[in-house]
Amino acid sequence: MRLSLLLALPLAVAAAGAAGPAEDPFRQANDLVRAGDYPRAVALYGELARSGNESATLYWNWAQAATARGAHGEALWALLRARELDPGDRAVAREVERLRQALNLDPAEIAPEPLAVAGRFARRFRLDLAAAVLLVLSLVAHALARTRLRPAGAIGLAWGTLVLGLAAAALPGAAASLARPTAAVVRRGAPLLDAASPSANPAGTLREGEVVPVLDTSGDWLQVEDNAGARGWAHEADVRRLDRAPAAVSQD
Amino acid sequence: MSQRLGGARVRRLLAGLLLLAPAARAEFTLRSEVDAHKLGVQDQLQLTLTVEGSGAPDEIPLPTLVNLDVVAGPFQSTQVSIINGRMSQSRSYSYVLQPRSVGKAEVGVARTGGQSAPAIAIEVVAGRLRQGEPQRQDPLGRDLGDPLEELFGRRRPAEAPRLLMEAQPSRTQLKVGEPLVLTYWLYTQVSVGDLQFKEAPQYSGFWVEDLERPTTPPSGEPATVEGNSYRRFPLVKKLLFPTRAGKLTIPATPFRIGIVRQGFFDSGGVVERATKPVTVEVEPLPEAPGFSGAVGRFRATASLDREAVPLGEAATLRFRVEGTGNLKWIDRGPSLALPGVKVFPPQSKSDLRTTPQGIAGWRTWEFVVVPETSGVVEIQPLAFSYFDPAEGRIVTSETAPLALRVEGGSAAAGLAGAPLASAVARATGALPLRSDLGKPAAKVLSSRALLALTGVALLLHVGLWGLNRLRGGVARGVGRTASSRSIRNALRDLERAAREPMSKEQAASLVEKALDEAFGAIEDADESERARLVRALLDDVRFVRYAPQLGDYSDKLKDLAARAAEAVRRWS
Repeated sequence: MRLSLLLALPLAVAAAGAAGPAEDPFRQANDLVRAGDYPRAVALYGELARSGNESATLYWNWAQAATARGAHGEALWALLRARELDPGDRAVAREVERLRQALNLDPAEIAPEPLAVAGRFARRFRLDLAAAVLLVLSLVAHALARTRLRPAGAIGLAWGTLVLGLAAAALPGAAASLARPTAAVVRRGAPLLDAASPSANPAGTLREGEVVPVLDTSGDWLQVEDNAGARGWAHEADVRRLDRAPAAVSQD
Repeated sequence: MSQRLGGARVRRLLAGLLLLAPAARAEFTLRSEVDAHKLGVQDQLQLTLTVEGSGAPDEIPLPTLVNLDVVAGPFQSTQVSIINGRMSQSRSYSYVLQPRSVGKAEVGVARTGGQSAPAIAIEVVAGRLRQGEPQRQDPLGRDLGDPLEELFGRRRPAEAPRLLMEAQPSRTQLKVGEPLVLTYWLYTQVSVGDLQFKEAPQYSGFWVEDLERPTTPPSGEPATVEGNSYRRFPLVKKLLFPTRAGKLTIPATPFRIGIVRQGFFDSGGVVERATKPVTVEVEPLPEAPGFSGAVGRFRATASLDREAVPLGEAATLRFRVEGTGNLKWIDRGPSLALPGVKVFPPQSKSDLRTTPQGIAGWRTWEFVVVPETSGVVEIQPLAFSYFDPAEGRIVTSETAPLALRVEGGSAAAGLAGAPLASAVARATGALPLRSDLGKPAAKVLSSRALLALTGVALLLHVGLWGLNRLRGGVARGVGRTASSRSIRNALRDLERAAREPMSKEQAASLVEKALDEAFGAIEDADESERARLVRALLDDVRFVRYAPQLGDYSDKLKDLAARAAEAVRRWS
């Protein structure tokens, strides 16, 4: 009884935050895509994402609309965001690779943070839940070993599950706390400025589709470092974060 | 300030205008001359290289000099001669040379354009030889005149040469932006050598273009001015466009004209002549919305470089205006706004040439357009308004409407710069959409939650261990805490004592050892249940061990071992 309760706890946490029904605007956006009205479709997808209805499917369709519109950097960002939400989606991974090649980007240029890969691995295989289950199991085994029943191997089981649980908890924990947030360049020729201001001097140009670590933020501006090591500020309309839903989507 | 008729371009113009021989024919002669073949080392020598005829190169290289240094030059002069209705041109390059030392000097062979002039030998002696040369001007400034005058009597004074310059506009009433041709005529009765603008001509209020040089040089034509017969030659033609309305005056333009020597004792001369001021009446253009400011006759066309374009790719819309007028002025293209299409600022190209009727040719504005939605982009007619002087009103030329078909969704759209794009592009555009929004992504435990969970688990483990320790201590009371290994060893020994065949002393000793390992020394003051039990067990074991061998103790020993094992399990 106690074991089942302990197992149910993290599952309940994981299921928390489920979004309400948003199928109608989603279908409406899909219809707009089929009608060729990509700008409005993308705007609708953006509203859905900002209202907390993020899913890999939403970003998949967003990417298709952006691709059809010729905005390949935005399409790659949407797919990368979909991959963040559902790392096990093979179609998304395949499309990410295709767009990466189409944009003539090196694999390292869309994966500047190795720990982010570990984070996706942890999310894909739900290492957080596994860690919770193993830790609970180790406690149960330990408790059993301390009773008069003293089942054979209880202590060993307690030790083993404890070690595995700690290891499973360490990977997503380290990835979440040590990996820098990243963002993808969604606009061709996006300027890299030397200050967080539209009137600042340009320090260079970011490559469309390139994924860059976010070093700092200031309002709508992100301080990023491109793959050549150049640091500067880019507007959030040009560079969208991969660790959260887009705050605002510029259509022009 | 004197101004030559403009450098190489004017030289070419004069050559083309004045030479009767076709300009394209390379017929010229080259002369190399010095003004002395013997001179003192302190004297200076003038070297003159002269080309006569047409087709000569613009420059004549200086010949090799032996024992001579250039102290000045080259001085270039152009001679245009009009003699007996025929024109000829010569160009001269003069150098002032200084001998280095007494002895032989030489001006080497002069070469240019396949022609050559022989070398000139010069003898250099000590001192100065040229001081005693006859002077044509005495120190007091009196003109000594022709030395033969005393012998043959003074000639009658020469008449002033009859020369006129005229600036003739092609019209005197026109509108702003309309062209007029201004021709500078030379009226002459004598042979003319050099001809220069004395001052730069002023064209205030006009845009000036040089007319293209005629392919065949014009010949002179007879003309009568105030009863005097002349031969007149068009020297320069300018195309002028008034830039403002009102009375515009082109002021008098002075010329300096060199006269060719007429006789043996005539040294020629230089006279100055000026054109009369020219005044033209310029009317303003009518005003109308969208009027480009173009004056002339034009035709506007528009075209697309392709009929269909994949969505996201660019097409080029070319707006072209061609005709004759002041097209060179017009640099602003039509404004182009297409809904759903990104229109980039146009790039302008032109191919224009100057004609007496105006500037003829075409100018295009190329707009790069990138459709943002699929379907058909309708491009409405584009208008170009201009003033037609023939009709006296503003005319609008419109292009035909155009349509650009935008095919939806190419994966390679907009990726012209990506070499691998075509290789990986899907042939059928974007992938199908997913129909269900799907469940939101499951939230993962945050690093803080994981840390808390790990901490709680570790604390609980420690708590369980500590609780067990605490409980074991209370249960055992004061006594040694046996390790799990000791307990395992004790239980193993007890099992051996009960099962394996051995003497009663050995078995009893094994049981006693196991109890000692599990419980240690039991203090006499310890009156707990555990201590009493262990003491009782030890008493029984010792009894069996030291009792005389009067019977079989195996059952007794098995019983002792079982009781001891139970005590170990319970209390250790």
